Amino acid sequence: MADHAIGHAASAGRPGMRFRLDGWGTAAVVALAWVALVAVSAIHRADFVSHQTVLAITFTMSIVGVLAVGQALVGISGGFLDLSQPTSLILTALVASRLLALGLDPILVIPITLAVGAAWGLLNALIIVYGKLNPVIVTLATNFIGLAALFLIFQIAEAPIGSAFRAFGRGSFLGLPNIWWPMVALILIVGFLLPRTRYGRHAIAVGGNRFAAQARGISLRKTRFAIFVASGICAAMAGLLFAASSGPFTPASGTVYLLPVIAASILAGVSLGGGRGNIWLIMLSVGFLSTVPTALVFFGLTSDWQAIFQGVILMVAVAIDGYREKWVAR
Amino acid sequence: MTETLTGRPDTPLPIAHHPVRDVLTGPVGSIGITLIIVLVAGLALIGPRFLSASNVTIAGQFVAIPMLIGGFASFALLAGVVDLSIGSIAGVAAAILGALLVNGWDIASAITLTLAACLLFGAINATAIVGFNADPIAATLGMLTGLRGATYVIVEAYGQSGSLFAFHDGLFALTNLMVWSLPLIFLVALGVTAVAAVIVGKTRLGRHTRAVGGDALAASRAGISVARVRTGALLLSALGAGLGGVLYVGQLGAVSRNLGFGLEFQVYAALMIGGFSILRGGVGSPAGGALGFLVIAGAANILDLSGISPYYVNIIVGMLLLAAVLLDRLRGGDAYE
Amino acid sequence: MEGQSRSSIRSLAAAAAATTILGAGYATDAAAQDKFKLGMAVGGNPCCEWMKAQGDVARALAEQRGWDYIELSNNDDAATALKNAGIFIQEGVDAVIQFNGQPSSNPALAQRFGAAGIPVVTYDIAQPGFYFVGIDNLAAGLAGGEALGKIIKEKWNCQPDLVISAEGAAAGIVNEWRTGGMRDGLKKVCPDIPAEKWVSFESQGQATVGLPAARDLLAAHPDAKRMAVVGLNDGGVLAAINAAEQLGRADEIIGWGQDGAFITGDNVNPHLAGSVFYFLEGYAVYAFRDVIDPIAAGNPPPMKDTAGDPASRVEPCPVSAEEAAKVPDMPERVKLLLAAPPGTTEYQLFCPNK
Repeated sequence: MADHAIGHAASAGRPGMRFRLDGWGTAAVVALAWVALVAVSAIHRADFVSHQTVLAITFTMSIVGVLAVGQALVGISGGFLDLSQPTSLILTALVASRLLALGLDPILVIPITLAVGAAWGLLNALIIVYGKLNPVIVTLATNFIGLAALFLIFQIAEAPIGSAFRAFGRGSFLGLPNIWWPMVALILIVGFLLPRTRYGRHAIAVGGNRFAAQARGISLRKTRFAIFVASGICAAMAGLLFAASSGPFTPASGTVYLLPVIAASILAGVSLGGGRGNIWLIMLSVGFLSTVPTALVFFGLTSDWQAIFQGVILMVAVAIDGYREKWVAR
Repeated sequence: MTETLTGRPDTPLPIAHHPVRDVLTGPVGSIGITLIIVLVAGLALIGPRFLSASNVTIAGQFVAIPMLIGGFASFALLAGVVDLSIGSIAGVAAAILGALLVNGWDIASAITLTLAACLLFGAINATAIVGFNADPIAATLGMLTGLRGATYVIVEAYGQSGSLFAFHDGLFALTNLMVWSLPLIFLVALGVTAVAAVIVGKTRLGRHTRAVGGDALAASRAGISVARVRTGALLLSALGAGLGGVLYVGQLGAVSRNLGFGLEFQVYAALMIGGFSILRGGVGSPAGGALGFLVIAGAANILDLSGISPYYVNIIVGMLLLAAVLLDRLRGGDAYE
Repeated sequence: MEGQSRSSIRSLAAAAAATTILGAGYATDAAAQDKFKLGMAVGGNPCCEWMKAQGDVARALAEQRGWDYIELSNNDDAATALKNAGIFIQEGVDAVIQFNGQPSSNPALAQRFGAAGIPVVTYDIAQPGFYFVGIDNLAAGLAGGEALGKIIKEKWNCQPDLVISAEGAAAGIVNEWRTGGMRDGLKKVCPDIPAEKWVSFESQGQATVGLPAARDLLAAHPDAKRMAVVGLNDGGVLAAINAAEQLGRADEIIGWGQDGAFITGDNVNPHLAGSVFYFLEGYAVYAFRDVIDPIAAGNPPPMKDTAGDPASRVEPCPVSAEEAAKVPDMPERVKLLLAAPPGTTEYQLFCPNK
């Protein structure tokens, strides 16, 4: 990890005044892998290429994609990992569901929910910044505490069945799920803004070499706060999409997202050492990772065997990417 | 421990180690104090039976196997690679052993084959991470997922209805054996920690491991084979997880589908309290790691015995985790800026 | 540095002093242990509301009787269940009630509790030597399957495009009984559904967790319209139903659940035609009435440890969605149960078609 930081400290200072697709190598690997997977599956069963398949995959992509943006922001800025996303996802989904059940209009519910997510991120940031503690430990602990607290507050929640909110979560627009489009918008916007706004560049600089960044006058504290609040807001957005599109959920329903989100973030080229990563690549990595389980079903594999193949595919993908980076890209 | 101004803030200067001073002022010192606080709190809240042989046995039997696995996995952390697959390796090892026993294999051959399989998994991890330069977290995540599936498949195939019963008299007796009124496996876990501490602190291998984890570039310039150290660490980590799986079969007499699931988080939380970092190599001591396990075990035991609703237990343990690392930080441990 | 080692020694000395003082004061706490002491190990799987409620009801009943009560969570983990057994034995409980979601550890537990002479009541998953209190999951499955079969016979003349099973492999034998039982019950009413129409996915017994797998299954059968859904529980069945909604194919999907978790209240999915109530949260009434109270009175009942011949049988209550509308949801049921005369079961209070 430290190796990457050294290599990229130099480039982190000026992350692209003009258009430059950072991490094109990783993009190529993931895109190729995705195409290969689709091709092999289509050869095996022609009806793999169908609108139903696309819907299934894009629904799966949506929640993971939004969470991966938050996770990637944390990673790029040197915050390593936000392990508290399972809690913030469910907390915000709960708030949204309960407020809707009380009859509040979605116009109000959405900003309130985003604010709750921001507050959760703020809580993490306060402990990390003022305690000067490693974010991995802090978010691990807050997740632990948060889940237990959630379990005391509720056991089951769901968005009201007849509501427009829930109908939105299940509907489609231009053939793709309603909830997919906000994810795409988020990735495009955040990916565009990150290297082009002052705060975004500060975040990348801090991730690359925080001492150099500090020497340039960048406030580490403000950056940390901003990043973890942003991660919380992403989780809240995911929570809204989750509440809209899922059935009844429990406090632990978010746990299943943690590992896929981390995998998607890493496969998008985010180095957990900080300073490196391209948000736009999340489209590719999440798309690829979401296609794998669906393709495996078409091959007739039981869910037990699916897990085996998913693990193998992930390992092969990161191995190829690592190899490319080490021996080819230099 | 100390931050340098060389522009490579993540790598500590190599300091001459004075064992006694390290023990008292380093992470071990603060986690040791935390443990003492936990013990005193236990005596105050529960009474003298908190430290009775029976109670220490209960907590010891529960924490022994994770501690053992953690002791082996700590080398990988020191070398700068985190192995997230240790829980799943333990699970699949238990499943493999169970399947072999169910098929009539004798215990010695079955354990040998099981551990060999685990070394194979470790070798695959090493190939991906060291050979192909894959990101360790992502690669071991893949191994975690894959082996989960393998565990399900084996338990489904050789068990009944999601449980694989594989009771072996000898292994059961061994894992439940008591020595001086304490569980043998607990003493073994402590023994492993002691050996690991000696290796890390006093041998060339230990120094090389810490060097590789601290600054791989500098280590390789100094002539240390980064690849060999990391490969060895990953193999060791897998072996330890496999041993843990074998011991679980002995202790439980059966393998469940979700054996080992989430174990990696338990183990790394304890090691992190004890001063290790999962994202930075070169820091942490096995003694600190073991103390981290004891702190969590002690706190959980207090909560179990004190009649607090089990739903509050996790909240309190989480807060203790934060308190312990905060204490460590206040006593001069690494500050995250 | 010396200051550090001195302060460490000081803290050790303080700890030693504190220990002696406190130890002396607590020497007497072991004396008064005459009250009946009940230990309860709740399942600890965050999937389901009823696991926590089982503990709450047992606690309330124990308090009504003035007993001591210890509640621990098995955390859905075999090793934790074993640790809890050690704690119960050390704390000298007189009886234990457990829900063990990882029954692979049951033999080891039976050995420990047996050696300590502590009688154990186990819910729903049998273990030789443990009093069995619970439902006949197979009968419940069959009843649900038959009810669904009647509906698809009436609506589709026993010709669905797919019969989807929402499995929950982690539930082990309970999954085989319930989900398999539902399939058998359906087959009884509609025996001629061809083999390739029976498909399944791993729902893990939860609506959200199983959702992606259900979507993938439906995508792999893109032309199926008329779909019947059976499963381990309401959550699993809802995973399939919600997936169909997302893929725009929910017009002709009908599910019948198990355990009644999502058939009460005003947020019932219209495609869930019915379920089977077990009133899991109220099991303690049966356990106390038929096993624990007699033990406390010095009159332990004969050992009955199988689902077929249980120490206390809980009746399943199959309901259609309309019938279930009259049944209050779980928190309300618990309140009413605890307010009812002792020994009244939830089946007596709430089942609309006894």
